[in-house]
Amino acid sequence: MRLSYKWLQEYVDLKDITPQQLANALTTAGLEVEGIEPMAQGTGLVIAEVIECEDISDTHLHRTIVRYGNSDADTTQIVCGAPNCRLGLKVIAALPGAVLPGGTIQAKPLHGIESNGMLCSMAELGVDKKYLEERQWTGIEELPVDAPIGEKDVLGYLGFDDTILDVSLTPNRADCSSMWNMAKEVGAILHRQVKWPDYVGKSDVGTPSQFKVQSLSDKCDYYLGKVVNHVKVGPSPKWMVNYLHAAGMNSINNVVDISNFVMLETGQPLHYYNLAKLPSKEITVVDDQALTMTALDGQEFAIEKGDLLITTNHEVTGIAGIMGGEESMIDETTEGIFIEAAHFNKTSIRKTSIRLNLITEAAQRFTKGIESLATKKAIDRSIQLLQEYASADDIEETVSYGNDGYQPVVVKETLSHCNALLGTAFTMEQVKEALTWLNFQPEVNGDEITCHIPSYRTDIEVPADIDEEIIRLIGFDTLKATLPVMNTTVGQLSPLQGLRRMTRETFKSYGLNEIVTYTLISKEEMETTALPLGRAIELAMPMSENRRYVRAGLINSVLASVQYNEAHQNSDNLLFEISKVHAEGKEEERLAVALDGNVQNDVLHKLSEPADFYAMKGMLMTWLNRCGFNDARITVRPNTTDVEHFHPYRSAEILLDRKPLGLFGELHPSYAKKFDLKRVIYAEISLSTVNDITASKVKFVPLDRYPSIARDIALVVDRDVTAEEITKVINNTGKKLVRSTEVFDVYQGEHVEAGKKSIALRITYQASDHTLNDEEVRTVHDAILDKIKEKVSADLRS
Amino acid sequence: MSDKVMQVQQEALDAIEQASNLEQLQQVKIQYLGKKGSIQGLMSEMKALPKEEKPAFGQKVNECKDIVTKALESKEEVLKIAALSSQLEEEKIDITLPGNKHILGTTHPLYMIQQEIEDLFLSMGYKVAEGPEVEQDYYNFELANTPKDHPARDMQDTFYIDVNTLLRTHTTAMQMRELEKAKGQVPIKLICPGKVYRRDDDDATHSHQFMQCEGLVVGENITLADLKGTLEYMANAMFGQGRTVRFRPSYFPFTEPSVEVDVSCPFCNGKGCKVCKGSGWIEILGAGMVHPHVLEMNGFDAKKYSGFAFGVGLERVAMLKYGIDDIRNFYTNDVRFLKTFDRFD
Repeated sequence: MRLSYKWLQEYVDLKDITPQQLANALTTAGLEVEGIEPMAQGTGLVIAEVIECEDISDTHLHRTIVRYGNSDADTTQIVCGAPNCRLGLKVIAALPGAVLPGGTIQAKPLHGIESNGMLCSMAELGVDKKYLEERQWTGIEELPVDAPIGEKDVLGYLGFDDTILDVSLTPNRADCSSMWNMAKEVGAILHRQVKWPDYVGKSDVGTPSQFKVQSLSDKCDYYLGKVVNHVKVGPSPKWMVNYLHAAGMNSINNVVDISNFVMLETGQPLHYYNLAKLPSKEITVVDDQALTMTALDGQEFAIEKGDLLITTNHEVTGIAGIMGGEESMIDETTEGIFIEAAHFNKTSIRKTSIRLNLITEAAQRFTKGIESLATKKAIDRSIQLLQEYASADDIEETVSYGNDGYQPVVVKETLSHCNALLGTAFTMEQVKEALTWLNFQPEVNGDEITCHIPSYRTDIEVPADIDEEIIRLIGFDTLKATLPVMNTTVGQLSPLQGLRRMTRETFKSYGLNEIVTYTLISKEEMETTALPLGRAIELAMPMSENRRYVRAGLINSVLASVQYNEAHQNSDNLLFEISKVHAEGKEEERLAVALDGNVQNDVLHKLSEPADFYAMKGMLMTWLNRCGFNDARITVRPNTTDVEHFHPYRSAEILLDRKPLGLFGELHPSYAKKFDLKRVIYAEISLSTVNDITASKVKFVPLDRYPSIARDIALVVDRDVTAEEITKVINNTGKKLVRSTEVFDVYQGEHVEAGKKSIALRITYQASDHTLNDEEVRTVHDAILDKIKEKVSADLRS
Repeated sequence: MSDKVMQVQQEALDAIEQASNLEQLQQVKIQYLGKKGSIQGLMSEMKALPKEEKPAFGQKVNECKDIVTKALESKEEVLKIAALSSQLEEEKIDITLPGNKHILGTTHPLYMIQQEIEDLFLSMGYKVAEGPEVEQDYYNFELANTPKDHPARDMQDTFYIDVNTLLRTHTTAMQMRELEKAKGQVPIKLICPGKVYRRDDDDATHSHQFMQCEGLVVGENITLADLKGTLEYMANAMFGQGRTVRFRPSYFPFTEPSVEVDVSCPFCNGKGCKVCKGSGWIEILGAGMVHPHVLEMNGFDAKKYSGFAFGVGLERVAMLKYGIDDIRNFYTNDVRFLKTFDRFD
């Protein structure tokens, strides 16, 4: 809220407190001041009169002589460009040396004519244009004829010698958006008495009224109305205009200004109707109508059942608490008024105002909540001010519907609990003092403090609320820093958390970069997701089409990151992401890996390795081995499920203990092209599934004591014979004596018959209980060779 | 005769002296010490000598053989050293060429910060909680003392999926699940990191998706001072020793008292600089004592137990710590950005 430093002084003495000190005190007490700015700025100003004025030919300028003091010597020549500059005008003059928001004024010739200063507009004094009429920023300010020549406190004379504190209120302290409540808060913080205008009971007057008010909705349980048959519409007093400006509102006329001023003071939004324009002496609040309301400017509002409406004679005159009817607006012809102050349900007002996009000051105040006693306060204060400043007369008695429903709140707290919760050692004296300044009327009985909560502090409900008030007022700087004393607990990551970290470390060690991408994706991305977990979840009200669905797979987000990097000339983009994916009723943690370019790229030292299927397979296998799964538990088989995203012959499905983990391999060139990518290798793996499968523990196996013997073989087989088939034959035939089988070369092309390939393997023989002799090795090796010939029709080369 | 021995010996020594490489030396060796060499030849001449001169002559020849052999060996040593050093010289390389490239991968900076916080609190006996991102309104708001008509629940803030389901707006939802799971049993000591979502337009300081890490402790005699001590400990671990924290009153529906927490600026040591906008303090997180309604709704006796909770935005911490000026960097995943973090810090 915009808090006027000057207005606040109507209630609290702030003579020895600067705006900055006030701001610090408020911030420390939880009302954060986000900015401090003067209403208007300028030094070296003086009120002057134009005593000579002539046009400078061929320019828009005027040469003026102004008098700025009582002595005849107090005159000077100033060249002024404002269209409204004329003889006899009382003006604001900034003499040489004056400092304005735009800079320091200097005596220097304009168009070769001596000029010793500037005549100012309000805009030039830094007043925001939104508080000015157009003439006030297109021309110089025209002061009243009785403005005192020579007055140097020009901002004071104008009422712009004010400083505005921009206070950010937390939702629980909406009460402070009322000036009176803010004043009470400041009084409590600064330990100062607060003084009030004499307004209480001022509305308890009037002749009997025929006006009827009622509510047919439980969302309006209290309605006060008051007829004032005579008011005199005219300008507002200057102080009121200034305070309204300070609060960010424009002055309209005295009657409308009073309704706004009272709202700012009490927090209660009011509506004043032009009595003559109400078709009958009756107001009914309803919420069961659906219709289209047309405002005077032609804007249409679709009213739904449930929206609170003000009706009179069955006609809708306004949207309750949001927008008054324009028909019955107060203008200069208004003679009598009807005052409305009511309780409108905050949830209902919020819903309607958001739906209709009518976020008015009144609606915002209702939405944030208003104390139940503000209604009467606002009526009282209205009558007092209307009598004083709008000649209010012929007043009728207040008519009402329902009751204010106010129930005094009493909260009990004990000093011991307060200190125990806060970790403080406050004394009863300190606590009582703070609560007294807050107007909680504390009653102390031993350790117990009974607080009578003032009506406007609707946020105070439980003892912890009292504790917060206590430390807030005494000061958080009194708080020590300790560590909790409690039973020792073991801090340990869960298996899934451990797996996540280990996965991150492993892929990082391969040289990959971890990425984080957005969860929300577009419809197109949703429809083209590979390996979707299920039916994608759709948002009820997306902010944009790009973020409509909760992703059920990671591929499009990850590839978009690769695409971004390619587009920014980053090569060798090796990325991985660990993220949850979602579908209706399901959640799964996944790992996505994308390899684009080279996994090793050192041309100088001839250590380059392109990212291909095998690079990815190696990464995944090594990672799973590290997770505690040996090769025998992992199955890699041809991908037959998704050849839309993946290359049909260079991709595979990977399974662990026969449970599918996901797919990996080269992307289908058509799919990669969508992202302007060429050969990209991609994998998407279910981390949740890996986590669900029991890994083997690390176990030491005694080292082999006897030497091994290696034999190399080279075979020519059909192209479709897999390395796995051959290794299987070797292992099954050689049984225990085969320690390892390693493929060390695969070749097809020149010197190898078409449709065939040459494959070379090294078989290592070893026994754990003796040294193998040549005879043993020869027997098993020959048996293996025979079996290979038989099983895979191999042509043995050596 | 013995003159002849001396002559052969001298010739041999001269030849050794003149040998300039190992091959020449080998030739000299064969010429003089070989089976058909000059020194062996002297032995055959011994037959012609009178019997009594034979021993002395033989001795002379043997002496000659020893001398020549030794000279050969020492020359060989010298030549080998010379050969090695010339071989080494040939092997000279340009040490200014770059070494082999080792690609270092990186952890995403947000997860670096998350792991740092996790490790700190694990060391203090906290556990790390998990929870769903597609969350029930009940855990995200209802149990967190944010009833249906609360302004904090405005549709503008939350991505709803249906009336009861939403994308969690804060990791507080995990706290509520953990409290419910504990069924009134203490102690509870946990942190809950994770992604959260709000209806914000993405710009330099806002993101519709971001990461939080909250902490929760519930037990007997847990105080606001304990919260301050714990956060001071965290501030020191995250931003370096000597940090102090300051509490300012604030408001969250699920804590009471609620505080905003400022950390003394690590960049100027609290003296005031550009980062802290001259105040000496940086606002870093929100915290408070668990609201008694929250404890009671989750089945804890609020008279017997108390607790504190805090929440920190990981982007905010990373941006401060590494001087990152635009939150979108975390989600654009430019490899050049990510590579900034491939070092120990």
